[in-house]
Amino acid sequence: MSSSVDTAIFVKPPTMVSAYLDWLQMLTGAGLILFMWSHMVLVASVNLGANVMNTIAHFFEATYMAQVGGPIIAATMLVHFVLAARKIPYTSEAQGVIWRHARMLHHTDTWLWLIQALTAMVILIMGSVHIWTVLTNLPITAAKSAARVQGGFWGVFYLILLPMVELHVGIGFYRIAVKWGFIKRSGRKKFHRFENIWTGVFILIGLITIIRLWTLPI
Amino acid sequence: MSRQLTFNIFRFNPEDPNSEPHTDTFVLEETPSLTLFIALNKIREEQDPSLMFDFACRMAICGSCGMVVNGRPGLACKTLTTELPDEITLMPLPVFRLVGDLSVDTGTWFRQTNTKIESWIHDDQEFDPTAVEERMENDLANSIFELERCIECGCCVASCGTANMREDFVGAFALNRISRFIMDPRDKRKDPEYFEVVGTDQGIFGCMGLLACEDVCPRELPLQDQLGILRRKMAFVGLKNIFKPKEKGRQRRF
Repeated sequence: MSSSVDTAIFVKPPTMVSAYLDWLQMLTGAGLILFMWSHMVLVASVNLGANVMNTIAHFFEATYMAQVGGPIIAATMLVHFVLAARKIPYTSEAQGVIWRHARMLHHTDTWLWLIQALTAMVILIMGSVHIWTVLTNLPITAAKSAARVQGGFWGVFYLILLPMVELHVGIGFYRIAVKWGFIKRSGRKKFHRFENIWTGVFILIGLITIIRLWTLPI
Repeated sequence: MSRQLTFNIFRFNPEDPNSEPHTDTFVLEETPSLTLFIALNKIREEQDPSLMFDFACRMAICGSCGMVVNGRPGLACKTLTTELPDEITLMPLPVFRLVGDLSVDTGTWFRQTNTKIESWIHDDQEFDPTAVEERMENDLANSIFELERCIECGCCVASCGTANMREDFVGAFALNRISRFIMDPRDKRKDPEYFEVVGTDQGIFGCMGLLACEDVCPRELPLQDQLGILRRKMAFVGLKNIFKPKEKGRQRRF
């Protein structure tokens, strides 16, 4: 008769899970970075004219890329959140430790991580709300987007979400590069500067786009 | 007219039940080429003989005078007061056990961590003390020595967000150390064996890439580059494992 006690739990077998999860965290992150930048460029097409944006939006809906891709992006976002959240302390004690540590150290990269962790929470909620609103209200048109922004509430909503996303994505881009060794010690300073400018440019494009939608005659 | 330096120094003696953690302030006149190490000795000699801090070599070789200087971990002997403002706050290194005031016990931590990552050459050959030492290419010897320069001062560990949050994280020190063995042809360990000791969330995959270790290391070890190389290496060990055909009698490692 077989024993009902699983003796294997007392001996931890060597596992490769940490490596798989680290890959997945990096790849979902990199995927979302590319998505967010492309997304920004596509939405910014409204600055070239409402018709340009409508045509692009129509293309993504006619090919079902929006209908299928949207939920995939949402799922990727959730997976990425769960994976990356493994690093965020859950107990108030550990949260206090990292907060006091960052305040003590005066170290940019440590602060950037805290910004990443905080913006992540905001993006998780506001990003989900945004995805839901857009995907349940297809097709996407410049007029509908403009009407939403001009309603006031959504205008403020996007003014908050925009810098949150761009900061998180920009810092994440820098972090992946230095963490995985794509950028070496000699190139770090320069790359960091580039990342700051790059993020600034995307926030600027985003602001111009929001202003354009706010002033677009419906 | 030389500067009057104000030192705010953390004081606490865990051995004394009446001792409460607090800050004491000392004022000292700045002299030419004054280092924190000399300043602390002066304070102890002239103002408070009970002040506890560690030092041995006074030339950044022994790694015992690591402390938090105005928020940044560094070596007291290597820090000139001219690099600092008039007010200097000194705290003991976090993570390590406090001995008293600025003195911490780094030895126990390093001993434990070295044991955890099996920080020695693994070789199944019998050692022959009479044999001529094996030769090594000069470039390789130099690149191993570059990582070997670590003095185990603990600054990388104290400045690490992960190490502060998670007791079991091995820190940049250990990851740099294991990189040194990976380079060394005398160590007969293969990638999966290295993976077993650092391919975990306590090892390289626990590193969040905040790079404070890189920025504070008093020896300026190439920690950023080594951590990157090690992460890629260990990540690929994991990746290869997925595509490896299942061996008979051996379980696939998930």
